[in-house]
Amino acid sequence: MAQEAHGAIYDLLAVRGVSRRDFLKYCSYIAATLGLSEAAAPQIAAALEKGAKLKPALWLNGGSCTGCTESMAQVDTPDVATIVLELLSFNYFETIMAAAGKQAEDNIAETIKEGNFILVYEGSVMTGQDGNTLIVGNKEDGSPKKGTEILAEAATAAQAVISVGACAVDGGWVAAYPNPAGAMGVQAFLDKEGIATPVVNIPCCPMNPEWVVAMVVQWLLVADDDPAVFLEKTALLTKTYKDGITGADVTLNYPEYVVGSTIHDNCPRRGHFENGEFVSEFGSAEEAMGYCLYKVGCKGPQTFTQCPVTRWNRSVSWCVNSGAPCIGCGGLNWVDNNAPFFKRLSSMQMGGSLGNVQPGSVAAVVGGVAAAALVAHGLGMKAAGRIGDGPPMETAKKYDRKRMAKGGDK
Amino acid sequence: MARTVIDPVTRIEGHMRVEVEVKDNEVVDAWVSGTLYRGMETVLLDRSPEDAFYVSQRICGVCPISHSHASAQATESALGITIPEGGRLVRNILECAQYLHSHILWFYNLTGLDYVSPVNALKANIADTYALADAAGTRQADFGAIAKRLTAFAENGQLSILSGHYWDHPGYALPPELDLIATSHYLEALEMQAVANEVVAIVAGKFSHPMTSVPGGTAFVPTVDKLDDILFRLVRVKEFIDTALIPDTLAIAPFILDAATYGGGTGNFLSWGVFEKSDLVPENRYLPRGFAQGLKLDAGVSPDDVTEYTAHSWYESPTGLNPAQGETKANFTEYNTDEKYSYGKAARCKDKSSEVGPLARMVVAYLAEKGGMDVAGGADVRTPAKLIDGTLKALGLEGKPEVLVSLLGRVAARNLEAAYIADIALVFVNELIAALKGGEAKFWQAAETDKGAGVGAWEAPRGSVAHWIGVNGGKIDHYQIVAPTTWLIAPRDDNGVRGPMEEGFVGVPVADTEKPLELLRVAHSFDP
Repeated sequence: MAQEAHGAIYDLLAVRGVSRRDFLKYCSYIAATLGLSEAAAPQIAAALEKGAKLKPALWLNGGSCTGCTESMAQVDTPDVATIVLELLSFNYFETIMAAAGKQAEDNIAETIKEGNFILVYEGSVMTGQDGNTLIVGNKEDGSPKKGTEILAEAATAAQAVISVGACAVDGGWVAAYPNPAGAMGVQAFLDKEGIATPVVNIPCCPMNPEWVVAMVVQWLLVADDDPAVFLEKTALLTKTYKDGITGADVTLNYPEYVVGSTIHDNCPRRGHFENGEFVSEFGSAEEAMGYCLYKVGCKGPQTFTQCPVTRWNRSVSWCVNSGAPCIGCGGLNWVDNNAPFFKRLSSMQMGGSLGNVQPGSVAAVVGGVAAAALVAHGLGMKAAGRIGDGPPMETAKKYDRKRMAKGGDK
Repeated sequence: MARTVIDPVTRIEGHMRVEVEVKDNEVVDAWVSGTLYRGMETVLLDRSPEDAFYVSQRICGVCPISHSHASAQATESALGITIPEGGRLVRNILECAQYLHSHILWFYNLTGLDYVSPVNALKANIADTYALADAAGTRQADFGAIAKRLTAFAENGQLSILSGHYWDHPGYALPPELDLIATSHYLEALEMQAVANEVVAIVAGKFSHPMTSVPGGTAFVPTVDKLDDILFRLVRVKEFIDTALIPDTLAIAPFILDAATYGGGTGNFLSWGVFEKSDLVPENRYLPRGFAQGLKLDAGVSPDDVTEYTAHSWYESPTGLNPAQGETKANFTEYNTDEKYSYGKAARCKDKSSEVGPLARMVVAYLAEKGGMDVAGGADVRTPAKLIDGTLKALGLEGKPEVLVSLLGRVAARNLEAAYIADIALVFVNELIAALKGGEAKFWQAAETDKGAGVGAWEAPRGSVAHWIGVNGGKIDHYQIVAPTTWLIAPRDDNGVRGPMEEGFVGVPVADTEKPLELLRVAHSFDP
């Protein structure tokens, strides 16, 4: 099949009714998302317009709910996003591909054989029941194939892996105590198997599609189709955690623009926090006024994602904007570390120079008025509250101890 | 006898395997297997009920709104909470938005490719395409530009998500002009499903995984700036349904009329009911609760009528339990269709293998409406009976509701339901505006106890969903979920009776067992 350039991307744009102006606007948006200056937009446009052949990609689903695929379908500016998706030739994408059964499996095999592809992985890696908690398709002898075997084969041959969503990052809710199906994240699994293919992690449940698109464009634009250059040129932050199944320390790469600051740092309701104006009951007049949700359990102060800036569903809203406290789905082991979700934090992990501090001292930093307000609201002024590595909930001590007795949170 | 296997079945949520025996080009037996186990119910134990609201919805990223509502209702029934009127309306609107998203995505982007060939669309004559769109009364687009786009895509040689499929199958029988129209709407559907989900995001923060319908009502307060954003988008989605989804269904149906003669399944239909009226009575929901056999309604149905069997499922939990006592302990042995072959339990209602989903809801509502029930809450909307009778007439099948029990009936029922929901969504928004005007709107109610047991039985776009919860001292001590897919892809029960999808495959003609397009159509018609 002809694989050469298929003409300027403009033709494609034009037939989709996308104007040159909209296209450049989109490039500026990509620049902003990547943390580049507006001046980079023409360069991005030029790279996109080169009209190289589609980059082959596989989108595999592990122990997933398909929420990340759904989220991908909600990507902004769909006309242009379609282009971006079409810049990738998704030879396998379980939820939307035409082919099924043997024909679908053949698409994977062929892509692996050809090499030079990107692997996107959604969902947890399922290791329970000897790897039989997920079986997909058939081996040559007709017996079912384990999900882990498919991932290992594909990841070995891929240039890079994008782990999308909390489940692919570290097992997500599926790995929450007691992790009945033996779920783990992609990086932990690749470490265990000795597969060195680089992995970039996109957090949250589901992941935000804009963050994925930005990584893809980064690959096409800056990385010259080379994983080493990609790692060198992309601003990454790492987080380390201990995997509950292997017991090994796992180091995760995240794009810095996604996890560089807390939700609390960028929250539009931050002003109300500082003024001591809180929602104390759901659906109340305070909510109608957009007050701070800290008192009903918001995990924004300890959750490092860009949600308030990127927002969700083509930027129309995000969790806090709709009146719900952040449940910290962008964090590690997010269910165990953040539930009970409606209990407020007894300590706040603040980014930067503040480190881990009590809300009282934050209030002291941000101003005397706020401190007074916090006292008035009886908010989190108790100094203690953390037990071991358990969740830092004020009223969860007994609950934590019980879990610790059972082997602790993973 | 040699078997035909489809694994993975794509264009669904999750992981599914289909295995059939074909004799003389017709399916004589079938086995459907769910091949993923995650252990949601075990993860939920010992947590707070509101944590179940947030975690349990993550069982499905395609219908998380419905799971979140079933979970919240379970907690409310356990802890004796009655949600306030404002909470009811906001939840109804949120649920409508998800249904509209889901049904649009399903018809065009999931099952659509079983009938529509974007490859064949390349042969379309553009002038004829406009003439056909005109005659069909369906939405027009710049068909020439879209054909050019498709041509560029095809000439590139990399077919991305369209690659590897048998586009040469004789089942792709639409004229190229209709293929082009439907492909154009495939692209527009990607936009419209996202618009519907923007309503979800406004009300619940984001899609997938909504944040606000917490036990007690909703955390969302509809301020004026948010209300107009909701209303405007719902109007836009309704317009797409009226000018594309419905006319396209009628335009494609004549080319697949044989699908009215097979794929009907068990003919036992369950609906827990969805979209609350002010009285919060499940039997009186807009789409009411009910159970029908042979197109006749039973006197009543309740979650107590559910049994889950495990003889053919990879569980060591006891078989034959109601979920109020149910257990979930996985134990994979081997894939063996004579023994155990699925992580799905065999859910049964009144011990019958029962279909759930839009066809079940529309049949139950149709029968209830014919029996005098008000399924419109007094509003002037296109009701299930009006929609079904009107469509039967348009296809020359007037007075034959029994043809609904077929592959074609299942496809049509989902799209007709979308039309009904597009109408009632606007009714709910107007009711909410009236409530806000009256200044009486309350949205959330706290629990007064921390102990109890309850069930939330509701409907997701793809079928009946129920969550059973036990709460003690503010912690969950029992949790069981029977999801739509549990019903639909159920394996055989202890008596060897096939699940609804398995039964739906029996009798389906298969032209080429290497390219089992007809099986994909039937599988997708259930939207598992």
